[in-house]
Amino acid sequence: MPTSFIAAYSRTLFTLGAILLALIFAYGGWMEAIYPPLLGVFEWSESTWFGVIGKTWGAAFAFVEAVHLLGLAVLGGCVIASDGRLLGLVLTDFPVRTVVDRTHTVFIWALIVMLATGIFMACGVATKIYYLPVYWFKMMALGAGMLFHFFIRKPLLQNDVNMLNPVVLKMVAIASIMVWFMVAATGRWIGFSG
Amino acid sequence: MSKQSTETEEIKAKDDQTAALIAAQAFIVFSAIYWFMQLESVRELLELAYG
Amino acid sequence: MINELVYNIAVWLDDTQWSTMLHESYYMYNWVESTHVLTLMLSLGMLFLIDLRMLGYALPDVPASRLAERLNIPMLIGFTVMFITGILLFYAVPVRTSQSLWFRIKMVLLVACAVNAFLFHKRMNESAVSWENEPRAPSRIRMGAILSLGFWSIIVVCGRFIAYDWFDCDTSPNTFIDVISGCVDGQTRF
Repeated sequence: MPTSFIAAYSRTLFTLGAILLALIFAYGGWMEAIYPPLLGVFEWSESTWFGVIGKTWGAAFAFVEAVHLLGLAVLGGCVIASDGRLLGLVLTDFPVRTVVDRTHTVFIWALIVMLATGIFMACGVATKIYYLPVYWFKMMALGAGMLFHFFIRKPLLQNDVNMLNPVVLKMVAIASIMVWFMVAATGRWIGFSG
Repeated sequence: MSKQSTETEEIKAKDDQTAALIAAQAFIVFSAIYWFMQLESVRELLELAYG
Repeated sequence: MINELVYNIAVWLDDTQWSTMLHESYYMYNWVESTHVLTLMLSLGMLFLIDLRMLGYALPDVPASRLAERLNIPMLIGFTVMFITGILLFYAVPVRTSQSLWFRIKMVLLVACAVNAFLFHKRMNESAVSWENEPRAPSRIRMGAILSLGFWSIIVVCGRFIAYDWFDCDTSPNTFIDVISGCVDGQTRF
């Protein structure tokens, strides 16, 4: 049996540390320090064959964007099914464990498709999105969403669900839906900007 | 032994729940502030545009 | 003659005040379009989960017909929102949209999807008791799921392509595409 407080609450302490780091990053000047050197990376990515294809053939870019939307549909469906089950809104006939575990597999594949197509599209319009605040909001939301999903939500749901506080489960579900909705909405807004 | 493993599981579940509660609340609060600011800026722009 | 009728109706819609207001609004068109795209997660998300279940790729240990039954309502709510926002998007830019090749393909495929969905549900309800706990549905049901996935994927691609002007009536040099797109000789509105 773990005797130290740190060992017993390691995930909680890591979470607090991560939130603190995020706040320092956002408001402590680290963001301003990292931003200028990234321009070189974005300019380089536009010169790769991803970027050249995306800039030269609008049809290729549009097709990849449509695949990105299909990935969004599948990912969103998994989030709605899984978090909807935690909220007791959908698929209430079926055990939480079954719905969460089975949708997780499909979620991973959808996320892979979205990351791959997203990188392709970003290369095609790299220097434009570098200067768009809404793009950076999306990236932060995406990073936060992935960290939340893999390091908070998944380990939580690996426990026996009957042992868990239902209020915590509902808050996790709401937070998950909100963060993925933010990723989707800011992604759509990129299309209206610049 | 099985009592020990049950206690370990309970401690792990408590840790996971606490971490989840903190992270979820942080997201919900941040999202509420972010969307409130977005809606405010939209309202101001619409006021400027349409009077 | 049909092309001229469609064009005249589109021009009449374009001349209405609400169409102009929607098209020229600061934010409304963007919100309607964003709602249309983001509701994909609800409508197509549920539909794709059902189709992937039939193919054995998602939720294989959940009874298939019960999954379809449970996800039907959120899916139909999503499709209702998409239908309403789709009509508004058409209404905002009626002439160009009605003469878009991609829009026309999208509408034909939507009808095909409706027919496929009807046949799929009919077959599923007639036979589900015998196979609903199997990881994969029988071949006819799987074919319906594959067609559904295929048709909806093409619909999303065509929806994305509507924004591009490759085959617009005022830019396209190809007579065959002009006919399919419904371009009218001497039209003044685009």
